[in-house]
Amino acid sequence: VRSRTKPDKRRTLADAIELVRDGDTVAIGGALSYREPMALVRELVRQDRRDLRLVGSAHGIDVDLLVGAGAAGAVEESYVGFEQDLGLAPAYRRAAESGTVAVRETCCYTLLQQLRAAEYGLPFMPVRGIAGTGILGLHPEYGEITCPFTGETFVAVPALAPDVALIHGLCADRRGNVHLRRPLVLDERFANAAKRVIVTVERLLDTDAVGEAGVVLPSFLVDAVVEAPLGAHPTSCYPHYTYDRAHLREWVQAAGSDEGVAAYLERYVNGGEPAYQEAVGAGHLAALSEWQQSNERWMELASA
Amino acid sequence: MTPGEFTIDEWFCVALARTIRDGEIVFHGFGSPCAQVAMYVAKRTHAPQMVLVEGSTYALDPEPAFIPATSNDWSLLRRASHILRFEELFDLAARGGLDRMFLSGGQIDPYGNTNVTAVGALPRPKVKLGGGGGGCNLSATVGALTLWTTRHRSGRVFVDECDFVTDLGHRTPLGTREEMGMPGGGPAALVTELGVFDFPDGRMRLRERFPDVAVEEVLAATSFELDVAGDLRTVAPPSDAELAVVRSLDRLGVRRTEFGERELARRFRWSAHHAGCPCCT
Repeated sequence: VRSRTKPDKRRTLADAIELVRDGDTVAIGGALSYREPMALVRELVRQDRRDLRLVGSAHGIDVDLLVGAGAAGAVEESYVGFEQDLGLAPAYRRAAESGTVAVRETCCYTLLQQLRAAEYGLPFMPVRGIAGTGILGLHPEYGEITCPFTGETFVAVPALAPDVALIHGLCADRRGNVHLRRPLVLDERFANAAKRVIVTVERLLDTDAVGEAGVVLPSFLVDAVVEAPLGAHPTSCYPHYTYDRAHLREWVQAAGSDEGVAAYLERYVNGGEPAYQEAVGAGHLAALSEWQQSNERWMELASA
Repeated sequence: MTPGEFTIDEWFCVALARTIRDGEIVFHGFGSPCAQVAMYVAKRTHAPQMVLVEGSTYALDPEPAFIPATSNDWSLLRRASHILRFEELFDLAARGGLDRMFLSGGQIDPYGNTNVTAVGALPRPKVKLGGGGGGCNLSATVGALTLWTTRHRSGRVFVDECDFVTDLGHRTPLGTREEMGMPGGGPAALVTELGVFDFPDGRMRLRERFPDVAVEEVLAATSFELDVAGDLRTVAPPSDAELAVVRSLDRLGVRRTEFGERELARRFRWSAHHAGCPCCT
């Protein structure tokens, strides 16, 4: 029974993650150090989901943490890492090199076209690129199509309807009308293409307030909405808080070994979100909202 | 650093900037601080009419107060005229409307194919690199590519054949770009910490060297036979205006994260040789 028109979709994190099953294709919103649904990611780890196929564009700690915790069977992202600053994703790198996770690297536009096919109700979309690259060899599911009008040949990529999309937004009402601000990355596309959509937000507000802020995801796309303040930490959720570079560095250092990952999970993840925030530190978290004070303060936080 | 001196990271950004032509729509990709800084240098010196598309926020012509160490950050939206959607940027490129982008690689072959996916064979590579982001498709349709690497001297970047082709250069075993139906122009320029290269007839050629680098060093660090321009020059030094943009914008020195210690120790000064050079003043 579809639940998307229910007037109240509020759930706890634990209830919401029950919508995710082992083996699901999971699309994770946000990008790199920006607005990733980390509270949901941590709950996936706590509930010990396995063999997930992770799809997305350019990502960081979300994917690396899931791989490190053993939740991922395949990674179909366009990039996983910490940019020039903190470098390669240690857990993903180790798992890929030892063959414990399948590398199905994709490209941003390819993924977009696959999501669009699902949104448009079509079985595939053509893509002009990919031919001649190694990406083609990682995807036996891609096909080829000749244009009936020009005779040109294109790579055809199949529709991708993720089983679940996980998104962190700024605010929502209890029905699941969600306000996001740009950059939206692929959040809208994921929400339209996915079979189930779970959204965490900084604040639950009444419908008028969310409408005034601007609805980006209409409620009928959304299956569950969870109020999870700081739910994107250690990635940013502007205007509420900037990203926590020091915490990302701590992860990158921990993720270099299985023991380090286990210690990180024990310290930060296993105990639940209140324990997570306590371990990170209330003062430390509060400081991340000080980016608005001045460019100098923002620079300090950015170089922490 | 003493007054009048400049460093390779500064000069490198300026050399990248000079590959941009005025009026182009240009994109730098994420995790690319040198290319990012270069775009602001171009925009504020020789290319005021260019449209600068930020690498992960897709903000147009922002004026950030500083360059952060991550590409998807609100600090890169400051005073932007607009923020493109993900779809708008990639559709623009797919229909041939993006004029130039910057791409790098852990491996680069003589035709400018790049590998940012893995060293060694998948499924169990020796080193899993980060991945290509949007480069695979963008490299097929963008008007011109400026490639760069700051690791030429390692000897591991320039290889006969990439272990994996993530982004398209001028030719692959399937044929040329034209034969594959890829409308983009492919690699037009390449900047390394050793010199500046072009691709006449689709193959990499040394065009300019940095003055503290001998041609033999460049050849020794390149695994394939490298063509050298008959009128090889030294890279024109940065102007005061170009250096001022680099220094005032990248206040955290994020560009330096692309370089090893040895390179960061390189120091340059203006020389009498450059004093009368019209492109340097």
